[in-house]
Amino acid sequence: MKALILFVLLMGGALPATPTAMVEIPAGEFIFGNAEFSTQSKPTASLPMFWIDRFETTNAGFAKIFPEHKFPNGADLHPATGMTWSEAAEFCKRSSKRLPSEAEWERAARGEMGLLYPWGDRPLKGKPHPFISGLVKRRVGYQKKDVSPYGAYGMAGSVWEWTASREGDKIIARGGLWNLHLDYEFSKTYEKILQAPDKGFSFLGFRCARSP
Amino acid sequence: MINRRNFIAQGWSALLIALQTWRPRKAAAEVDYFTGTEYVGKTRAGRYRDFYINYWKTMRRIDAERWTLQVGGLCEQPGSFRLEDLRALPQKTQTSRLKCVECWSAKAQWTGFHFSELERRVKPLPNATGALFHCGDEYLEFADLKSLRHPRSLFAYEMDGEPLTDEHGFPLRLVVPFKYGYKNPKAILKVEFVEEAQPGTWSRIGPYSTDGTILPGHDHPLDRGKIRRRIFGGEIRD
Repeated sequence: MKALILFVLLMGGALPATPTAMVEIPAGEFIFGNAEFSTQSKPTASLPMFWIDRFETTNAGFAKIFPEHKFPNGADLHPATGMTWSEAAEFCKRSSKRLPSEAEWERAARGEMGLLYPWGDRPLKGKPHPFISGLVKRRVGYQKKDVSPYGAYGMAGSVWEWTASREGDKIIARGGLWNLHLDYEFSKTYEKILQAPDKGFSFLGFRCARSP
Repeated sequence: MINRRNFIAQGWSALLIALQTWRPRKAAAEVDYFTGTEYVGKTRAGRYRDFYINYWKTMRRIDAERWTLQVGGLCEQPGSFRLEDLRALPQKTQTSRLKCVECWSAKAQWTGFHFSELERRVKPLPNATGALFHCGDEYLEFADLKSLRHPRSLFAYEMDGEPLTDEHGFPLRLVVPFKYGYKNPKAILKVEFVEEAQPGTWSRIGPYSTDGTILPGHDHPLDRGKIRRRIFGGEIRD
């Protein structure tokens, strides 16, 4: 009995294991942003350790908390989109998580070395395929090369992602595809778009983060 | 062996080939095929350099006297409306930018009426999720009810304070500024309420989404010298 109590106490006092389906992002300084848009030649930031979802939130996952969320048959594992910023934040909150800040999102995407893309500094040889949908949705993690140094998928492609950070009255979203007529491009790890928090779009989803 | 006669003959041949194949690119893009004819179609000529005209097929100009808007499909009170009937509806004016999926965009002031006015009169059935637009150039496009009911969507019969020209979609066009131009059908003949979303003309033949929401990417605004700029998706407000 004593041994069992000791085991429980030890487990309770130990650092929590990485939550399921999340990746651990270690504490430290990293290159944040791009010199082109900064007064510093190598802008940096420092963050404590946190976790971030390995994949974007899926339709099936989102519908567990928002049952009114409708999606086409067979799209269970596609990234959920169309939600407002508040809905995304509420989902994370009810999952005992939160939206990542812009800095956290970037740190998770580019690692300590300040990579331009999650996989390195050069674009992939093949451009992202627009598929016939034009919205470039496939199951989360579909593009296996689009993976960050910490194992987070879809941070340069797939859909754009709400963050917790603001710029003026707009919310900063990160990491989706740029549409150039019939061509698509992966976004760089420091690129962003700004959207009004009350808007939902077919190209905009999210993933959650969590602190220890 | 090259003699004088061969040399001249070969020279003429080379010149003819060169004349057949050489085209000044800009001039070729600005040939005006339709002004003064009874037809209208795709053009970038003359004043349309500032607001390109795309049509699916070249079509005969629509006769205002004979045109009525047919509204049918899944609705309680199908009907037809003359242009003067539509002009009598509560009027709405807005300035918005038309963004083409080809990357250019252009801005105009549009006047017309909101979908709610039409909806009130024809009463779509509960199982209708959207409407198909049948156009004079045989173009077909779908719009869901949510987009049609959006406060920025508009059925337009005027552009910049003047009646729509044939080129810009006389007598009636749909303006949905948060969707690409191919979701803004022109020269509308018929609105048909339907139960299921379906791809329109371009979505059937190309990699264009049925949804048609403007995505983050590039824009080349014609009114700003086509200078490339980033856009963040959804309606372009400036």
